[in-house]
Amino acid sequence: MKIKKILALILTAVMLMSIVTACGSSSDYNCKCDVIQLEFSIWGDESERESTQGALDVFNAMQSDIFVSLVQIPNEQYGERLRTLQTANNMPDCGMIDERTAIGWTREGLIKKIDIYEGQPSRPFAGITFSDGGQPIGYSIGSEVLALWFNRDMFDAAGVPYPPTTLDTAWQWDEFIEVAKLLTLDANGNNLNSPNFDATSIVQYGVYVNQWAWQLEVWALSNGGRWYSEDGTRAVFDDAAIEAMQKVYDLHLVHGVAPFNPAQTDDGWWDSVGAGNVAMCTEGQWATGFTMFSDINYGVGVLPYMKQQANITAGGPVGVFADTKHPEAAATFLRWYSDPESNWAPILDGWVMPNTTDWFTEEAKLTRWIDEVPNRARLDARAFRTAVADVALHPGTVPTGWYYTPGTDQIDRVLIPALVEAANGSKTVKEVIESVRPALEAAVSGN
Amino acid sequence: MFTKSGMQNKKQNEKFCNRLAFTVLILIAAMVMLPIYWIFRSSLMGSLDIFIWPPKFLPMGTINPSEWNWSNYTIRSANFVFLRNLMNSFAISVPCVIFGTATAISCAYAFARLNFTGKRFLFSLCIGSMLLPTMVTLIPLYMAWTYLGFVDSYWPLILPYLCGGGAFNIFLLRQFIRTIPRDLDEAAKIDGAGYWQILFNIIIPSIRPAIIVISLLIFITTWNDLLQQMIYIHSADKYTLVLGLTAFFGNFKADFAGMFAATVLTFTPGLIIYLVCQRYFIEGIVMTGMKN
Amino acid sequence: MAGKKKKKSLMEKKEQRAAYVFLIPAFLGLSLITYIPLLAAMAIGFTDLRTGHFVRNRVLPPPRFVGFDNFVEIFTNPTIDFLNSIGVTVYYALFAVISSVFYSFFIAILLNRKIPGRAILRAIFYLPYILPAAAVMISWHFLLRYEGGLINYFLVNLGFERSHFLSASETVIPSLVMIAVWQCGNLIVIFLAGLQNVPRVYLEAAEIDGANFLKRFRHITVPCMTPIIFFNMLMSLVVSLQVVVPALSVTRGGPGKSSMFMTFLMYHVGFREGDLGKGSAISFIFFILAAILAAILFMTSKSWIFYEEGED
Repeated sequence: MKIKKILALILTAVMLMSIVTACGSSSDYNCKCDVIQLEFSIWGDESERESTQGALDVFNAMQSDIFVSLVQIPNEQYGERLRTLQTANNMPDCGMIDERTAIGWTREGLIKKIDIYEGQPSRPFAGITFSDGGQPIGYSIGSEVLALWFNRDMFDAAGVPYPPTTLDTAWQWDEFIEVAKLLTLDANGNNLNSPNFDATSIVQYGVYVNQWAWQLEVWALSNGGRWYSEDGTRAVFDDAAIEAMQKVYDLHLVHGVAPFNPAQTDDGWWDSVGAGNVAMCTEGQWATGFTMFSDINYGVGVLPYMKQQANITAGGPVGVFADTKHPEAAATFLRWYSDPESNWAPILDGWVMPNTTDWFTEEAKLTRWIDEVPNRARLDARAFRTAVADVALHPGTVPTGWYYTPGTDQIDRVLIPALVEAANGSKTVKEVIESVRPALEAAVSGN
Repeated sequence: MFTKSGMQNKKQNEKFCNRLAFTVLILIAAMVMLPIYWIFRSSLMGSLDIFIWPPKFLPMGTINPSEWNWSNYTIRSANFVFLRNLMNSFAISVPCVIFGTATAISCAYAFARLNFTGKRFLFSLCIGSMLLPTMVTLIPLYMAWTYLGFVDSYWPLILPYLCGGGAFNIFLLRQFIRTIPRDLDEAAKIDGAGYWQILFNIIIPSIRPAIIVISLLIFITTWNDLLQQMIYIHSADKYTLVLGLTAFFGNFKADFAGMFAATVLTFTPGLIIYLVCQRYFIEGIVMTGMKN
Repeated sequence: MAGKKKKKSLMEKKEQRAAYVFLIPAFLGLSLITYIPLLAAMAIGFTDLRTGHFVRNRVLPPPRFVGFDNFVEIFTNPTIDFLNSIGVTVYYALFAVISSVFYSFFIAILLNRKIPGRAILRAIFYLPYILPAAAVMISWHFLLRYEGGLINYFLVNLGFERSHFLSASETVIPSLVMIAVWQCGNLIVIFLAGLQNVPRVYLEAAEIDGANFLKRFRHITVPCMTPIIFFNMLMSLVVSLQVVVPALSVTRGGPGKSSMFMTFLMYHVGFREGDLGKGSAISFIFFILAAILAAILFMTSKSWIFYEEGED
């Protein structure tokens, strides 16, 4: 009976409190009606929210015409959530955009088709400019390219020289496999070339090529193939592209130098080099940010290649949403926010590289974002410059499909589950691609 | 017919059965606990340590060998956001449980015991609504709630529970009421008891286990209802514990260890409530059979 | 005679009035929260409505009826492939219902015995149900990994082959069913509550008559539990048909299309791609399919459910 009474008391108390909470929270805005109020939406975790809020505070303090408030939306449901907000006429004025939906949403009318750098002297470089039919519609706030990350201690222990750090010395694919064999070790420390190698007790793999769907495009380009036509109107997935993807899966299926990697979740770096399971992995420049989470002695090099040097640029864009009443003010804010000088935290943490050419060509600026940033300097600033920074503006580096092709979000949704069957060897890449080809084509040309 | 040795034999038999049941249960329980232990183990590690092969059974990292990483908990449980989210979760679940249970009992009673025109029809409508996935009505309801100006409040999450508390619960209670012998309420009726009296004095005490079960089910359902909360709650100061779990996935990184720690903190209130309730619905009731 | 009849109908009227009062919440709920929105959703299924349409029109745009176009398209469009989804969902649901009902009834019967520590054991079996579903899937995903997953680690050390679990088409549904069975603590609790309501006098009487445990179980416990078994089957069926979390948080409908569940497809088409018309068409067919399966269950139930009074 006593417990019952206490329980009843607690429940009553909680209920009273909850009613107070539920009813009393009709939040009244502290409306400064003479300023333009903007809502800016981001996805991201707590630390990203804090750093973004920090940037907004600076912006709100430095001028008195525009006041920007932050809307944080959980990462996984960003697109769906924006759609629901829009249905209810609550869409923010501007915000981050899922890069894969940028073109589709612009055509659908969810994003305003305006060039926020219209009439401005400088703008982000071409590799990270979203365009629809040649007209620029959005810009990544930071740039990314892919690179090869490795564990220095594992290379030292195997007596293998570190991966090349300049494009002209990059490994050809077969050389890459040979090195990976030396770094694939069983429980007794034998490598894959040793006659005593025990394939059932592998404790360290040589390589983990990130197979998260969009990153595979780089291998198609490297093998002289294409995923999308250059004008972004068709899904191509030609034989060279298919062959390249098969080569990537064969690292595990045929050569045994890579772990099985279904790529159903986007955690390649963590699962491989990050946790010390694998000697080398491919990942975007943002892996620089990951290095602060452990004491592993990481290094960085250039990607190997199949037939030609290739790399892809990436980066999350911002845009003005269609419902806003203040597109000019939103553009002003977004220009400010996209400028590395005003939004330095993501560059400092290692998550992004700057977005304009001058940061890659002027020595003083290069020093600021590479040598003076601990996360990058730790990787060896020289190597970082040649293996990552120089690659961003190299002619072999082209924009990822989503910069010029609509429907890449649907492509991802088709490819990610479909390619698992190629990864586990139950189908060849050719069979997988042919079985989903109608869906891939519909995703691009249907938009 | 019943010799002493026969009784003893029976008792021994019973004992053996209990021992066998116990052994089987312990084995299965160990398997059931494994994923839960895994969440707990992972919550005490660094996020990278979770990915190490082969997996470490104890939460000791090799990358961040900082023994057990209790900081995942201390940081989160002490912080204001956690407490605020906890209160918000209660603010949704508690009214839902109270209203949902009360209305479900009254509806179930009518369906199980009373005769009225249109009973079959209404009951089939009720059953039919169980087959309706939440997602089907999501868009129209969202539009309606928006029109009424209730978005970014808890009303869209609470008000449905004022309306019968969910067909499942009505149906479950009805099934339970139907297992109670009808003679009981017939007798009460002859003694001049009204419908409310029968409901309160006979039906409710007899189905107490079921009532506690549905309160628990409502509590857990509303507590974990990520989809609807995500759609209706926008501002961070109204976030609940489950919504808080989504904040561990960043633009580039995912704090799995932190998420697992938050998961443990999220389900703890439900576990405590279950433990408190369990003795009522399991040991509470023998009278139905006795009175018969 | 006439007076008595009149009196009886008065009683009936009274009973009817009382019943309607008791049912007010259900009336409200069924109409406002369920059926009117369902009709709205159905109507949307016959229109061409995309979320993008709301931009220019602020409120609901004038509906553009397209007849059965949406229904035709979901069956013919290769990107949607609705038939596959129906097959996958029904396969999963039947597999999950049968496994979870057997498992939970078995566990509940064992838990209902006088064994040491049963309060703790009961809590353990209930625990999986109260965990937030998305976190559970992520945890299982870690456990079931091919490289570095604990279950495969055990399998290898016990001399078995590793399994791909969630990353092969043949094993993904059985793996998800295993997770569903693990999570069915609510069914166990309902069975436990039901076992409390099995009239003890019957059991005791049977025991005195010399019926052994199996006989008592077969002839008393099971018949008394049939309404609860039926309820649990129905509940498990509806929940399994609506399965979406595994696909949302880990499998993304794969490998291939082997876990492209209907609700996931509807979420995908309706919310992610913003095509409310097709999304509603999918959910409308889903509703009909669920109703058919439930009707089959109800029809068979007449032959095996035992109620104290043999009414309706």
